[in-house]
Amino acid sequence: MTDDDRLARVALSRLTEPGEAKIASLTAQLGAVRLHALLSDPAQNTPEARDVATRLSGLDPAAELERGERLGLRYVVPGDAEWPAQVDDLIRAETLDHRGGPPLGLWVKGPTRLNDLEGAVAVVGARSATTYGTEVAASIAGALVRAGHPVVSGAAFGIDQAAHRGALAVDGANIAILACGADRAYPTAHHELLAHLGRTSAVVAEVPPGCAPTRGRFLSRNRLIAALSRGTIVVEAAARSGALNTANWATRLNRHLMGVPGPVTSAQSQGVHELIRAGAASLVTRGDEVLEVVGDTGTHLAAPARAPSRRRDTVPPRDQRVLDAVPLARAAPVDSIATTAGMALLDVQASLRRLMRDGLVELMPHGWRLTPAANE
Amino acid sequence: MALATAHTVSLQGSVGHLIDVQADVSPGSPGTTLVGRPDASLNEARDRCRMAISNTGVQWPGATRRVTILLAPSDLVKRGTHFDLAIALAILAACGEVSQRTLDDTLVIGELTLTGGLRSVPGVLPMVMAASRRSFTRVIVPEPQAREAAMVPGMTVLGMRSLAQVRAELRGEVVPEAAPVAPMSGSRLIEWRGSRRLTEHDLSDLKGVVDVKYAMEVAAAGGHHLMLSGPKGSGKTSLAERLPGILPDLSVEEALELTAIHSLAGALEPGDDLIRRPPFFAPHHDASKASLLGGGSGRVRPGEVSRSHCGVLFLDEFPLFRSDVIDALRQPLESGEVTIARGEESATYPARGMVVMACNPCPCGEYSSDLPGNRCTCTQLQRHHYSRKVTGPVHDRIDILRHVLPPTRQEPSALPGEEPETSAVVRARVADARARQHNRYAGREWRLNSQAPSAVLAREWPLPDLGAARLEQEVLAGRLSRRGAVRVHRVAWTVADLRGRAVPTVSDVDTAFRLRQGEALLQDSVARRAS
Repeated sequence: MTDDDRLARVALSRLTEPGEAKIASLTAQLGAVRLHALLSDPAQNTPEARDVATRLSGLDPAAELERGERLGLRYVVPGDAEWPAQVDDLIRAETLDHRGGPPLGLWVKGPTRLNDLEGAVAVVGARSATTYGTEVAASIAGALVRAGHPVVSGAAFGIDQAAHRGALAVDGANIAILACGADRAYPTAHHELLAHLGRTSAVVAEVPPGCAPTRGRFLSRNRLIAALSRGTIVVEAAARSGALNTANWATRLNRHLMGVPGPVTSAQSQGVHELIRAGAASLVTRGDEVLEVVGDTGTHLAAPARAPSRRRDTVPPRDQRVLDAVPLARAAPVDSIATTAGMALLDVQASLRRLMRDGLVELMPHGWRLTPAANE
Repeated sequence: MALATAHTVSLQGSVGHLIDVQADVSPGSPGTTLVGRPDASLNEARDRCRMAISNTGVQWPGATRRVTILLAPSDLVKRGTHFDLAIALAILAACGEVSQRTLDDTLVIGELTLTGGLRSVPGVLPMVMAASRRSFTRVIVPEPQAREAAMVPGMTVLGMRSLAQVRAELRGEVVPEAAPVAPMSGSRLIEWRGSRRLTEHDLSDLKGVVDVKYAMEVAAAGGHHLMLSGPKGSGKTSLAERLPGILPDLSVEEALELTAIHSLAGALEPGDDLIRRPPFFAPHHDASKASLLGGGSGRVRPGEVSRSHCGVLFLDEFPLFRSDVIDALRQPLESGEVTIARGEESATYPARGMVVMACNPCPCGEYSSDLPGNRCTCTQLQRHHYSRKVTGPVHDRIDILRHVLPPTRQEPSALPGEEPETSAVVRARVADARARQHNRYAGREWRLNSQAPSAVLAREWPLPDLGAARLEQEVLAGRLSRRGAVRVHRVAWTVADLRGRAVPTVSDVDTAFRLRQGEALLQDSVARRAS
């Protein structure tokens, strides 16, 4: 991509709020350079348009890029080798509250390259989480990174933080997407965490450096979390939680949406339960199950939970009937077993021989009884 | 003078009765009688005193004298060997060997040997405490126990090695040399490497489990009973062993109470100071009722539940304890004291320690440890029997319940500045919370929230309307019993004390409810307050 395009995008991103669908669609149709030129034309007929032109002419995108560089940030735009192609799905996704479209560009801090995030999975949830939620989020995030899937989240309190922390336990990509400038730390308490991610993985923001987080910017940020990831897991979310907004975007983008259930009495899990109940999210309880959903076809098939198999489970049905009729402690003669089982004497005799071969019954002086193996 | 009185104390449980030992030496048929309901060990005191006096070089009252010794009040059964010295001194005073005046405000404790040497006896501290309340100002004890007696403020302590030394001291003569006093039987004969290992433990050794650590902090701050349940290998024991480390040092009052109990149990060693650190006891699950709650033959000794007064009693594998032991624990769990009634004797000891119980989900300890592939080999019936051992009444008396999960394969590594807190940091917060309770309950019969009687709590320190409504709702929904609601009420105060609030808020009540029900806590409540 030309430097002009990059500069035009920097200028436009300063001009508008992130995720404004109008700008995204105009950029897609006209190209950033053309749009920038049109908007900067001082000879326009409406006062609003003239205001825009004045504001654009007051910006110095080249200096902005330089400043970003000094802060350790790079600006990745469509057409760059590093541009994450999956984000372009936002072009076709329906808008949500006039928000939508791909970002003009992404400010990135850290060594991880955004084009390596194809298998990324988002782990999101309530800020006011429970210790149950944070434990599950950390364990799932750890399992994902261990299996080579980058973890994406929003560095907020609660589930987001737990997801980043869980992923930290293993070496791997661990991406924080912020609603403020990538040079800032929000929430401030996560200063250390974000500094660490900026050194070892990546911190990403759509808004230019220095910008403060606002409510609208959080909502736009959520669409990026969903778009960058192959699937989104909601761990805990109350009935009105920001995590449900991310879930909504995942659905719009046709990404996998998964929910981790909690106790039905827990307010913190209500939103997740509603997603699962409505059929929007599939239920996952641990890392393997998430991998089965987001992994490539046929890989990571999770073994279903089951009790250990017992030897007597493998016995054919008719022999099973005989086995049920054999007493545990005191041996019984074959005719009494046949009566109890309601089967013919000869059949029972043959069955007992087979069962003895399998080590499930034994022949005593006064008849047959079960072996300890049959009772395991 | 042919009649003299010396003073000593008889212990019945933790109650000390002042005993006047009166000796009368008067003409009559020769012989020595001891009256005032002595038991067998005390009856032998006659012979011990007689030989001790003779071997000290003093003439035993002559051949035409009758010696009568009375232990008053007479209706009390007296046991123990610490009366020897008082008896001997009363006889010496009756014979004019020492002056009665020197015995007047003096408490006398000690067992005698035939050579006239003194021996240590159990229970010196509580005896001296009892005497101090009756305005005695001087006490004579066997030398190794002088330190123990000196823990009581305002007491002049004479530590002596033999009857000859005591006699010389009372006569104002030069005290003769004597062989050192033999150590008390039953003192620790073995010291092994690692016997002090608990002091090395720190809370920061354990990563993760933030909710359990928070539960421990609340339990420590309010003295609440705690149950930890979880599959084997989940770290229940490691957690419990770190509980004493977050308890603050004992106050002087608490230290005296505890040291007195240990003295009664005969567990104080010569040279032991006042016990300043909260004790930790972890009896094995085959412990008998007598060892855990108190009893034994002869003297009624305080059990582990009393010896861990002001500290921690850890009952690992709780459901494996004998059923009668589990049920007998109800009284100390509820009232903070334990009464052992036996024949004529009934002893009540304090037991206001925290009881920490740990249990597995099943006898083999594997159930639910590894969900996708269950390795548990127990039958349904075994699991049922195991869990049924913890009866409803005991469950009702547990303030805080926590499920401990086995650690995940890799614990999140700590970022700089986010390392787990050390025991010292948590201990400081617990101390603050306890100080608030001391202020609130100043002049009351209890020190901590867990000990506050429910009626007084409801009357004087009720929950705010919203919090009370929250609890009422849970009770009506059948999720909480009335007794449970009282427990939550107490824990809510502790949560508020830890958070530095004057009155519990709804969120404190919510946290307390979650702690009691074993539900997941809100992350905010366990997050570190510092940042």
